[in-house]
Amino acid sequence: MTQAKKLIAPGLTEAEAIERAKSGDAEAFEALYAFHKRRVYSLCLRMTGNTAQAEDFTQDAFMQLYRKIGTFRGESAFSTWLHRMAVNVVLMQLRKKGLPEISLDEMLEPLHEDGPRRDIGARDNVLAGSVDRVNLERAIADLPPGYRIVFTLHDVEGYEHNEIAEMMGCSIGNSKSQLHKARLKLRDLLKLRRAEKANRR
Amino acid sequence: MNCQKYQENLPHTIDSGGNAEEEAHLQSCTECASVVQDLKYIANQAKLLLPMHDPSPRVWQNIQSSLRNEGLISEGRTSLMAQKTISQVPSSSSKAFSARAKSWTPLGWAIGLAAVVLLGVVLVNYHPTPTQPEVAQNSAAGQAQVVADQELIGQVSKQQPAMRATYEDSLKSVNAYIVDAKKTVEDNPEDSAAQRQLMDAYDQKAMLYEMATVRSLQ
Repeated sequence: MTQAKKLIAPGLTEAEAIERAKSGDAEAFEALYAFHKRRVYSLCLRMTGNTAQAEDFTQDAFMQLYRKIGTFRGESAFSTWLHRMAVNVVLMQLRKKGLPEISLDEMLEPLHEDGPRRDIGARDNVLAGSVDRVNLERAIADLPPGYRIVFTLHDVEGYEHNEIAEMMGCSIGNSKSQLHKARLKLRDLLKLRRAEKANRR
Repeated sequence: MNCQKYQENLPHTIDSGGNAEEEAHLQSCTECASVVQDLKYIANQAKLLLPMHDPSPRVWQNIQSSLRNEGLISEGRTSLMAQKTISQVPSSSSKAFSARAKSWTPLGWAIGLAAVVLLGVVLVNYHPTPTQPEVAQNSAAGQAQVVADQELIGQVSKQQPAMRATYEDSLKSVNAYIVDAKKTVEDNPEDSAAQRQLMDAYDQKAMLYEMATVRSLQ
């Protein structure tokens, strides 16, 4: 659906709300908040794994939106533009708080200290079909922060490695490496939980 | 090509495919094939995750207060939050529906009522370890849900044919989420986070019905 026709409140299209918000119409801004808050907050929550931080960053992202909405030119979808703004807010705030970023050290460390992955009975032990979304959400929340951010941006939100590299100030290779480690870590976490569950039965 | 070499290159090849030598190794090595299969499965499952959580009302209150403090909006403005927008999941579906009841058409009533009944039947009857009559009741509720979904898609198709695919996709996603969340609750009846996820999933479904109703009135 085009932005011009997308209704975000009864009788109010997104395009109308944007134009009115650009003129300082607080009610139009409120409608934009109500329509986009869930996606922005979910992004912040997945990136931080912490509800208090996610709420703070959601607030920052929408404050930023209010200040910058006048610069929105419609070159991309509004949701894409807002989303990118929210990602940048989260990354900037995490940097300010000194939380982990992708470091060159991580990039240079060997992928697996103990050599390639080997699973006993690997064929019978694949994850396919055994992981539901609830458990995947939890495993993502348990990832180390750097892995969680790259995994969320690439696999959940659909950003490309070149975009992630630009946003995070790292190389494309680094982004790929972090994503791979994040997926491997998730695989371990999900298999561990599956085994724990099986043991409880 | 051995496993070590293959897996060292995997971050760069897993999404785009490797060279002939790597592909040959993948075909012949069950261990590397298992790793690749799992990692692709995780990536695919991640794409299906929905934005499931709403920020607390405190976030909007803080935004309003910050905007006022910075002089960007004036004091005493009436909040629009009393008039819920169509994206907002009702904290209580029945309250939201009754608030709009005065302006509803028969179609709106039918769809809204179906959503409320659906939500109510499932939430009231849902128990982690159901008895035989409850199994039958839940099964009947499940069938009613399928019929209600088909009805909804049918109405959307008539009134807004362009939106049919969007609603079909959304219903499919949210139904899958409900199935997953129910399974998790069944496996861990004491897990309050899983129960919350299940409630969120039902809330999302109620929201879809509400959106269809509101749009049918435009």
